[in-house]
Amino acid sequence: MKASLTRQSFIAGLALAGLSLSAGSVLAQGAAKIGQPAPAFQAVDADGKTRNLSEFAGKTVILEWTNADCPYVRKHYNSATMQTLQKDMAKEGIVWLSVVSSPVGEQGYVEGSAAKELTAKRDAAPAAVLLDPNSKVARAYGATTTPHMYIVDPKGTLAYMGAIDDKPSSNPASLNGAKSYVRQAVAELKAGKPISEAATKSYGCAVKYAPLS
Amino acid sequence: MAQTSRQGFPRQGFLHKAVLAFALIAPALAIAAESAAVSSPRVTATLLSSRDAVQPGERFQVALVQKIARGWHTYWQNPGDSGEATRIDWALPAGMTASDIRWPAPKALPVEPLVNFGFEGTLLLPVEITVPESAKPGERVTLKANATWLVCEKICIPEEGAFTLDLPVEAAAIVDENAQSRIDATLAALPQPAGFKAKLTSDGDRLALSLPGLSAQASEIRFFPLSDTLIEHAAPQPATPAADGVSLQLARSSAFKLENAELSGVVTFKEGGLPRSLAVTVEAEPALLTAATGASAAPRPAVVRLPLPVEGADLTLWAALAFAFAGGLILNLMPCVLPVLFIKALGFAQLARAHRDEVREQGMLFLGGVVVTFMILAGIVVGFAALGSSIGWGFQLQSPPLVIALAVIMTLIGFNLLGAFEVGTSAGGVGQDLASRGGRLGAFMTGALAVVVATPCTAPFMGAAVGYAVTQPPAMGLAVFLALALGFALPVLALSFAPGLLRLLPKPGRWMVILKQAFAFPMFATAIWLVWVASVQAGPGGVLAALVAVLAAGFIVWLVGVTRGTGRLRLAASGLAALVALGAGWFVLQSAVPSATSEARAGDIQAWTPERVAGLQAEGKPVFVNFTAAWCITCLANERVALSRQEVKDAFAELKVASLKADWTNRNSAIAQALAEQGRAGVPLYLFYPGKKDAQPEILPQLLTPDMLVTAARRAAGKEIKTASR
Repeated sequence: MKASLTRQSFIAGLALAGLSLSAGSVLAQGAAKIGQPAPAFQAVDADGKTRNLSEFAGKTVILEWTNADCPYVRKHYNSATMQTLQKDMAKEGIVWLSVVSSPVGEQGYVEGSAAKELTAKRDAAPAAVLLDPNSKVARAYGATTTPHMYIVDPKGTLAYMGAIDDKPSSNPASLNGAKSYVRQAVAELKAGKPISEAATKSYGCAVKYAPLS
Repeated sequence: MAQTSRQGFPRQGFLHKAVLAFALIAPALAIAAESAAVSSPRVTATLLSSRDAVQPGERFQVALVQKIARGWHTYWQNPGDSGEATRIDWALPAGMTASDIRWPAPKALPVEPLVNFGFEGTLLLPVEITVPESAKPGERVTLKANATWLVCEKICIPEEGAFTLDLPVEAAAIVDENAQSRIDATLAALPQPAGFKAKLTSDGDRLALSLPGLSAQASEIRFFPLSDTLIEHAAPQPATPAADGVSLQLARSSAFKLENAELSGVVTFKEGGLPRSLAVTVEAEPALLTAATGASAAPRPAVVRLPLPVEGADLTLWAALAFAFAGGLILNLMPCVLPVLFIKALGFAQLARAHRDEVREQGMLFLGGVVVTFMILAGIVVGFAALGSSIGWGFQLQSPPLVIALAVIMTLIGFNLLGAFEVGTSAGGVGQDLASRGGRLGAFMTGALAVVVATPCTAPFMGAAVGYAVTQPPAMGLAVFLALALGFALPVLALSFAPGLLRLLPKPGRWMVILKQAFAFPMFATAIWLVWVASVQAGPGGVLAALVAVLAAGFIVWLVGVTRGTGRLRLAASGLAALVALGAGWFVLQSAVPSATSEARAGDIQAWTPERVAGLQAEGKPVFVNFTAAWCITCLANERVALSRQEVKDAFAELKVASLKADWTNRNSAIAQALAEQGRAGVPLYLFYPGKKDAQPEILPQLLTPDMLVTAARRAAGKEIKTASR
């Protein structure tokens, strides 16, 4: 290899090295953004079936991050507020996906059978419970709390992200007079209006993340 | 009187009873200055009074004390990514009042990948109580407080407690020295008023918080805003020294909402190894204010793609492919790429006679280099578009280290063209060199280099095509980029396949050496321009980094040159060269940190925000928006030949056109989004908004002329016919 490196290859090699370097720093960014295509995902549901966001193209999809023992989640389920919301949304033809992102060994982790039991016991009505023990879906969406809500419109665009309502409290009394950001966004979406509060600060327990492997 | 905490989890029967038992006997044990404890396995809480007896009319301190078990934490006013602040509700005798909690400075508590703001260990939350003048010595006052808090480890448990302090009223207060000193210590450690006003400015995706008066010696600086809809709590907050004090770079919250121009927060830092904290009032630039209904409802001019000029129109796939091909062809004529292509052509001229097949092969390899590099770049851009994040065409030039790498490359090419050093077989000459295996790689790499240096330029037709590419499914997007690559590679490829064209080139000779040397100067000019771009992106640190990188590269090339063919010495030299390269690389990455620049560079022209456009339109002013970047040559050319011309300035002044500048030199997702809305993936983009509320903008072509601007300004002002005699 006696000095076979030519001028151009030497130079261009440097350039490409720089290029890949800058691409790496770009990769660090990029979570869900309102008005942008919702991050695609693939996850196994409680029945062991692989589900994709793309299979719901043309439908409104609601993602609900959940963790059964979290006091904030319990506030919404013990009062049946969440189940009512799920059923009302189903009536509108909206796909409701509950996402569990706790990894194995962390509080909130469930297997498919346990997830189904929970759904039955609580009389919940999600279209599916997605199991995300690698926290991949959570990372793609940047979910921080349980509950944390996302609404994807029929075109696959992220229309809402944030809190379930405007009362950041675990106290069941706070449900009285709470404004449901989800209902508001869905109504506006249906009416073809811009979402008046498309991004809000979610509240609740921290999503338990699997370490990046 | 005391109650136990209400357990969030049901499985603590024994402990629950134990706590209950303790709580029942506790009042008997409690000294007057401290309430009965409310205990859980996680928190033991009491209400601590600095008085054993209070005096009419006085103010005194009480504190909610939380002894938090190891590993657990409770929350500050803004809890960060999750959680809930501790609250105290008071029930006080008539005339008695309690202040809000005086919050100590919080700590950032990472729960990967999230961050909470809160407290660990033992926490005192002081409150000031005012005793009414009407209180009579000999009476007793009973302070009742209901406190709720959330305590989390990885799991979270809401707890609450009811506390009672029953204190006698005396003519003179009886201070509990121990309690007073504990509370005083907490009060002394509270964030001190900063004594300066911080400023919050927009930097697109990011926010810049300037903290004038903060010492340059401060380390581990962190800003905790009271509002939880201001910043991404988990994002790092890099600090850069500013003209006076320090500037913090903050990531804008995805739920960003700012209704008042003034906000507050706490800045914690270390000085001389000691933790300090300041309570700061922050003044936000008006452009950051969002409408009361929320961030997303902020007026954003609606977007309709106008059929007006060809650029920006909705395209079909075929049209996009044709546009891309044409754009690629024209790109060859842009100043960025020309020197590289000339070098390639010179190589062909030298080979033309003897090695026609070689030339063809070279042409194909060049094409390969162009296509592969375009596909890498396109793959990144299209891939990110598919993931829902826009990075846009030219994104790589938003990275100061890469801009600096390009500057180094340009300098080296320049010196190489001048003959200062030879890379490659020293004696063989270009011809032999090219015929070698390395020559093949070289031809491929020239193609790659041509694409890399071409990215600062945008040719006509390209904007719409690239914009189309990033909004389509990946396969179609890549097809468009492929068309662009083919158009770009075509002239060199044609030259390599057309013997007739090659014969047009003069015979190699002395003129070639001179021409080759002459081409060094555009290279140096490009390098100067890139160093300037780095200075715009990263300030003086960027210039320093660039020049150090050039120095290191020069040294390495020299070292490799002098030790060529010298056996063992060469090994040592290679090691040293690698060391210098690593050191310089590290230095560049350290010093070339993007800084907030958009505002600074805008001068008297205001920085662009969608809100500002909407506001100006509502005032009836036509608005011109210039989407530009320091690294975009086409943009700079337009600024020189059209935007800065006197007749344009006059017309703008006469028609009361407001000029806004959207500077994309550094990453800025708001600008990227606005570009995407117009079907573009990169700069330049010129928009003219009529001075009517919500009116749609006209998209101007990518190469401007003064006439074009003046006519568009008239159209936007609704005065196009009258002043035709101008």
